[in-house]
Amino acid sequence: MAIRLYDYSLSGSCYKVRLMLGFLGLEYERVQMNFYPGRQHRSPEFREINPLGQIPVLEEDGLRLRDAQAILCHLANSHDASGEWLPRDAERFGPVMMWLMFAGGELMAASAARLHDALGYELDIEEARRKARAAFRVLDDHLTAREIAGARWIVGDTPTIADVACFPYVALAGDGGLGHEEYPALRNWMRDFRRLPRFRAMSGIPEFI
Amino acid sequence: MSVARELWTGVALDDQIQAASSNPVILDGQALAVWRGEEGPVRVWEDRCPHRGMRLSFGFVRGETLRCIYHGWTYATDGQCLAIPAHPTLAPPKTICASTYPSETRYGIVWTKLDGGSNGAALPDLGPDEGWEPVRSLFVHAAASPVLEALLNCDLGQQGPVHMVAENAAEVEIGPELRVLVAVHAMDDERTALHAVARGPRAASERAGLARRLERLRDDIERA
Ligand SMILES: N[C@@H](CCC(=O)N[C@@H](CS)C(=O)NCC(=O)O)C(=O)O
Ligand code: FES
Repeated sequence: MAIRLYDYSLSGSCYKVRLMLGFLGLEYERVQMNFYPGRQHRSPEFREINPLGQIPVLEEDGLRLRDAQAILCHLANSHDASGEWLPRDAERFGPVMMWLMFAGGELMAASAARLHDALGYELDIEEARRKARAAFRVLDDHLTAREIAGARWIVGDTPTIADVACFPYVALAGDGGLGHEEYPALRNWMRDFRRLPRFRAMSGIPEFI
Repeated sequence: MSVARELWTGVALDDQIQAASSNPVILDGQALAVWRGEEGPVRVWEDRCPHRGMRLSFGFVRGETLRCIYHGWTYATDGQCLAIPAHPTLAPPKTICASTYPSETRYGIVWTKLDGGSNGAALPDLGPDEGWEPVRSLFVHAAASPVLEALLNCDLGQQGPVHMVAENAAEVEIGPELRVLVAVHAMDDERTALHAVARGPRAASERAGLARRLERLRDDIERA
């Protein structure tokens, strides 16, 4: 039942998966990719593993999965006996899926801004930042409403894979030239998240809280 | 509306500054670290470590001290450096001090002013401090004057007129029993924050609805 992760330390998407593996206490083998400057994810060999040429990819028992959000679903589905990371009740399942899609969709504008600033990717940086701010605001408004309702997590009373999927690119915003000044609820949620047992930091996210 | 440096400005909701946290705030283009110890009131400092200039809003709190994330220099609530981890036996000289600004918490809002002197107007006075409930902070992508203009003409429900209680704060009465106080905070030429609190028997139960109406106001201002 070995798990293998095609990984890159500085990737926020891979970090989603590393966080989840950590929260679930799972051992895994790390295949360190030379993402930059080697562009190993675009090599013909890696295209056989993921035709999209993207990381993360996770392998387990003959399964080969791409997309961080899909991988989080798989890990919670197979390895979380509590069922809390991916709740199956109607009240929470749909909302968790909704915010998961948001993490892999709108929020990825913050990843684009970071790739531009940190790795020199050519893209319209103003457009990326504008979209990232719009996404941050949507989540900040949601978490403000949650605070008002006396709650702390994106869905329900416990952290779910929606929190795990949204955390990295919100926390790494500064690498893309985006400050946290306008998002008090995001700041408080990030601090709560960093205080979770088995939380691990990565480069760009402070270790101490 | 220009930011007079001697004017008290609301820069955050007390309720949203967690215990043991340091937070980034921009006031009139100036980066501030707004932090709270494990207990005690909120402090407002320049967002700059005297050592190498690292932002203190990235720092972390231990007890009633703020520690810089970079090399761990440790500051007391008055800004004085207490400890330098790389030189554990050295008592830091008195000259090593973070820049602090005055801060007051009133009506659930944290107020500060960039000019530390005692000139300038006093804090807005709306009676006793008790009974105010937080609503929310909003960050509007527009300059302060159009935001203030929109606030004076806004409709938060069945309300009376909006009146200014300071150069940068307005009060709205919604029926006889609900009062909303909004502090206007110019971040820079393009961004303005609003910090809203409410008072009255319905203040807590109306909070979610008020927050949504303020979000609507923000979005309307930006569309205009
Ligand atoms: N939908 C994928 C996107 C992952 C992603 O953007 N990965 C980046 C690294 S952080 C990547 O591999 N980019 C290379 C590329 O798209 O060419 C997911 O959520 O896992
Ligand atoms: S920059 Fe703050 S301790 Fe060195």
